[in-house]
Formats: sequence, C-alpha cells, structure tokens
Amino acid sequence: MKVLVAVKRVIDYNVKVRVKPDNTGVDLTNVKMAMNPFCEIAVEEAVRLKEKGVATEIVVVSIGPKAAQEQIRTALALGADRGIHVETDEEIQSLAAAKLLKAVVDKEQPSLVILGKQSIDNDNNQTGQMLAALAGYPQGTFASEVSVDGDKVKVTREIDGGLMTVSLNLPAIVTTDLRLNEPRYASLPNIMKAKKKPLESTTPADLGVDVTPRLTTLKVEAPAQRQAGIKVADVAELVDKLKNEAKVI
Amino acid sequence: MSSAEQLVEGLKLLVDEGKVKTDRDSLVTFGKDWTKIYEPTPLAIVFPKSTAQVQAIVKFANENRIGLVPSGGRTGLSAGAVATNGEIVVAFDSMNQILELNENDRTVKCQAGVITQQLQDYAEDNGLYYPVDFASAGSSQLGGNLSTNAGGIKVIRYGMSRDWVAGLTVVTGKGDVIELNKDLAKNNTGYDLRHLFIGAEGTLGFITEATMKLTRKPSDLTVLVLGLPDISNTMDVLQAFQQKIDLTAYEFFSHQAMQHVLRHSDISAPFESEAPYYALLEFEAVSDQVMDDAMAIFESCVEKGWVVDGVISQSETQANNLWRLREGISESISVHTPYKNDISVVVSKVPAFLNEINEVVTNHYPDFEIIWFGHIGDGNLHLNILKPADLPKEAFFAKCQQVNKWVFDIVEKYRGSISAEHGVGLVKKDYLEYTRSAVEIEYLRGIKRVFDPNNIMNPGKVIDL
Repeated sequence: MKVLVAVKRVIDYNVKVRVKPDNTGVDLTNVKMAMNPFCEIAVEEAVRLKEKGVATEIVVVSIGPKAAQEQIRTALALGADRGIHVETDEEIQSLAAAKLLKAVVDKEQPSLVILGKQSIDNDNNQTGQMLAALAGYPQGTFASEVSVDGDKVKVTREIDGGLMTVSLNLPAIVTTDLRLNEPRYASLPNIMKAKKKPLESTTPADLGVDVTPRLTTLKVEAPAQRQAGIKVADVAELVDKLKNEAKVI
Repeated sequence: MSSAEQLVEGLKLLVDEGKVKTDRDSLVTFGKDWTKIYEPTPLAIVFPKSTAQVQAIVKFANENRIGLVPSGGRTGLSAGAVATNGEIVVAFDSMNQILELNENDRTVKCQAGVITQQLQDYAEDNGLYYPVDFASAGSSQLGGNLSTNAGGIKVIRYGMSRDWVAGLTVVTGKGDVIELNKDLAKNNTGYDLRHLFIGAEGTLGFITEATMKLTRKPSDLTVLVLGLPDISNTMDVLQAFQQKIDLTAYEFFSHQAMQHVLRHSDISAPFESEAPYYALLEFEAVSDQVMDDAMAIFESCVEKGWVVDGVISQSETQANNLWRLREGISESISVHTPYKNDISVVVSKVPAFLNEINEVVTNHYPDFEIIWFGHIGDGNLHLNILKPADLPKEAFFAKCQQVNKWVFDIVEKYRGSISAEHGVGLVKKDYLEYTRSAVEIEYLRGIKRVFDPNNIMNPGKVIDL
C-alpha cells in the first residue's frame, strides 16, 4: 500500500513570532524554520504503518520555496522512501495547496493520504478537507488512532466531549491530531542514508494548477500586550478590587 | 550586645517600611538555599533596595557585631547562603532592576537581585545575548551567580560567570562602597579586586551592582545526542568534533541518569539502541558546510567504534527536548535524596578519574546507585549517589561521609577540584585542603581579614578565621 504524506515548512514552534512593522505579515527574516508539528505526526504515523508491514511505500510531498527540501529530507530520514517538491515562492493558500496535492494524488494514486490537521503558521485547518472534496475521497480528520484493515481504515477522531470512530473505504484522507503518536528523532545514520533517496522537483505550472491567492490579507497585528499584575496588601483590598474595579463580585 | 528585639528595631530604620521580616515562614524560606541539610535559624530577613541601604546594613552589623548572610535565588548547592547561627539574612530580591544598557559597549548594568533569565531575556529583546546558562536560571540571581562564579552548560564556549563581568559595585565587610574596574575592557592598574569578590560567596563583601558583558546571539543552535559504548572514548569524540566545529556545549550523562529522566517526564529516549553513556553536543549550524562536517565526524566516530548511534535536532522544539534529557536529571533524582558532588579535573584525565571513583564506590557499597552527568567538555563531573529505599537517611549520609573521603582522595591524586562550580559554603569547607594547600588557605584568611576584620560577612563559610 502506498502512503502519501504532505509536510509543510513553517516557523519553528519555539520562535517568538514578530509582526512586520508595516503590519503586512509575520517577519520571516533570519527566523528558524522547521517542519509543522502536525506534519511530523503524519510522517511518524506513515512510518509506523510501514514498520507494521501495512504500508509498502511512503511518498512525502512539500509545497514551498527551495528551502522546503530540508523538511522533505527530514521526512526521508524519518523513514519516507522518496520525496516530491512542488517548488514555488508564491504565497500558497489552503485551496491552492489542496489543488496541488490533488494533482500529486492523481499522479501517485496512493491508498492513503496523511496530512497534519492544520499548520501552526496560519491555523487554517482546511487543506485536508478540501483535498478530500477535490479527490472525492472519504476523510477522517483529527485522528488520534489509525488502523488499516484490508481495504478500510478505521480512524478514531477527537471530538467535543469524547471520541468518534469512523471507518473509511480506501483510498482515504486522514488528518492528524496531537495525540496520535509521538514523533521520533531523525537518527544520524538515517540522515546520511536520506541524502541518497530520490527527491523529484516539480512546479505548480507543471501540475497545471493556478495558485493565485483568492484571499487578501488586510492587516496582521500582534496580540494586545498583557497588563502586569499587581500585589494587594490584604484580603480586604483584594475583595474591594474584585468588587469595584474588576466588577466580578 | 543588643537584644534581638533591639537589633530588629534598629534594622528597620535602615530600609523601607515592611522590608524586615521575622515571621517563621520568611526565616525558613530566606534562611537557606537548595541544600536541605542545615536548619536555618536567622534572626531576621532584610530586603535592601539600593547600594546605600546595603552599606547601612553592613555598618550596622559591624557596630553590633552580628553576622550577615547574603541570599539570592537560593539555588546554591553548598550551603553558602544558609544562616545557621542567628545571622541577619540580606536578601537581594528587592534589588532586581536592570539599570542601564550600553549598546556600544555591549554591556548592561544590573542590580545584584536581577534573575539570570531576566537578564537573558532582556539581552535577547535588545538583539544581544547573555550566554551563562544553567538549569536554575529561572530562579538564580546575578549576585549569587557572581559570588559563586556559576558555570553551567555553555562554559566550553563562553566561560564562567567571571568572564562576563565588566565592573562591580561592592560593599566591603568594613562598610566601604567601591567600584571595581569601572566597566573597562583594558585596565592594567595593579590588583584586580573584581576577581576577588567573584566566587568569594559574600565572605569579603556583598556585590550590589554588576555591569555584565553581552555578545552576539548564536544562530541555528543544533543539538546532537550520541550513544557511547565506553566512557574512555568521550574525550576522543570531543577532540574529533573540536578540530572542525566550535561547540557551544559538550555534556554527558549515564544511561541510568537518562532512565530517571524518562520515568519522571513525558519525553522519549533519543534512539532505540542503548548505550552506557551519552554525549550531548551543541553547535551553531550556520551553513551546510558545518552540517556536512558534523556528519563526516559522526561517521568516522562510528567507524572507530567510539559512537554507536546518534540523533540530531530538526527543530528548536527537538533541541529543547534533547536538552531536557540532560537538564532534567537533577530534578528527576531528587526524590531519592541523592548525595551530590561537583568535582573537576583536566579534561584529558576525566575517563580514568571517573572509572576510579566508580570502582571505589561500587566495591564498598555495591547497592548504591551511582548517577553520573556533567559538563564533561570542561572536565566537570556531577557525581550523584542515590539513597537505597530501605536505608535510613542518617545511615546513608554517614556512609556518604566515608564516600567523600575516597572521592576527595582521588580528586587530590588527579590534582582536581573538590568544587568545580557549586562553591564551598559549609558543605565543602572541611575539604578545602584537598584542592588548596595550607599555605594558600592562610593567604585566603589574610585577604578576608583585610576586607572583613570583624568577620561579619557570611561568617563560617568557605574558610574559618
């Protein structure tokens, strides 16, 4: 069974994000970039399926600038077999990403596509669902457990107040939630082996997809600064402030 | 000699209102550090907010012949900041202002009570970097760092706290305020008293302000964790990497140490293969060339049999998690009431030194679990022995007194230090002679008498008069 995994290059989770002074977006100059954490989980799940003998080949795809090849190499070091880089310096919105992935799905014909439920840069949570609609595949989103049985995949989903288990016919789309698994580290021997794994490059034009943005960003602002706390002398002052300033009691 | 009440009333006149505390909670909290062996019995806790107030307190203590104990973040491990003898504790918590940044000089002037992490964050907010870092950076204060010359995890690249001091303001034991070195880079005008106060644990006077040097922030810090089959190869691995790459850290920990961290937290092992020891390396992966070099060195270390496996961080999150394997050790073993020792030798002697201590301890006490970790790139080892669950605390510490003797004999034989970065305080005072000669200690006493003739400043710590 062939598994396709999509990974995205985003600002490292640990970086303190700064907004550009002109409010047009987030400052990316000299900022540490890394694989989106939900995509790491997607790669890990695919690798586990391969280790169980369920998956036979893992293809990893990333859309983005030249440097996104770093994240593909990481996925290859983690256990993916080959990479596809859709190279573009354009801003790629969810729908464009879904269309590009649909083109890759048409070409590769995977039995299972695993994506992160969202990327931590824009938090859209759309690409997986849009891809399912475009490809006409069933979708199991927010997965906390995935098991493949014959021509079906069982996906346990995290929903408000509990868990829902759905059974999908393959081929299908799965998007990962945080509790699905704990990704491993890339080992040094595997990083060296990954350098020899095939990485094919293509472009939106080659795939015949128009990636022109449909949405315009008007303004990006940093969240309001939190006010510093204060110390009160005694309980009476606290009660007074809660009553008269905060007006909560 | 005045009565206790009179002393407290007198003290209250020297500082702001509410800045003298004598309640039981405060006495216990501020009267001790991270060592939990000694019962704190201070007379009072005073919180000055300026150098002038500290000076007034020191003069007051001289007039009344009462000892003063400095208190910073209280994370010390040698009981340097423990008041066991009715002293007044001078807590620097209210002196926590960053006073002045000078971007041209790349220095920042701070009060002694500034917390290490506060200084680190302030530097970063201004596009600079304060590189001294250790597990307790979120609590420890600058004054305490300097009084113990704190080291930590980046010493291999950036040196100790001492190396980052451009100038100091101190109140001597005689009650004089002096400015040391005036923040100059070059100042060859005789004795550099600055360095006497650094590492003195407050026994000569109290540091009230410090001008600290800052530097460029390192970029793309990348962490490698390697599995080592034999401790004797750790230094070969270090040398192999250092020939090509400037490491910002070279740490090691034993498999047992890592097991405690894994049990205690939610992080996972770096790789499946097990090794008796692990090395953690950090460097700036600024170019593909550096990464290629690192890979090539790793490969050759594997071929030589020095390394069995390894991982490399792919993001800052992973880098932080790999660091937690090392930085979480102290906390994870604290439930086992460990005997701790912080010792050092020159780098080349580390493997032989470690093996010898291992052998002595396991021969005599085979049921003791030994946990090794440390800043091995600086020759600094942290030896921890865990208390067997069925052994009472008193019996365990009695046996550890015997262990001390063996360990320090070996330290002396290898010309090492009985305290690499934790200071002397009360804990190591009786063992100072293993590292310092009797003649040298007599000179230390002479210096103490010059600055603190009445033995007011942190009396009984480091040396006895």
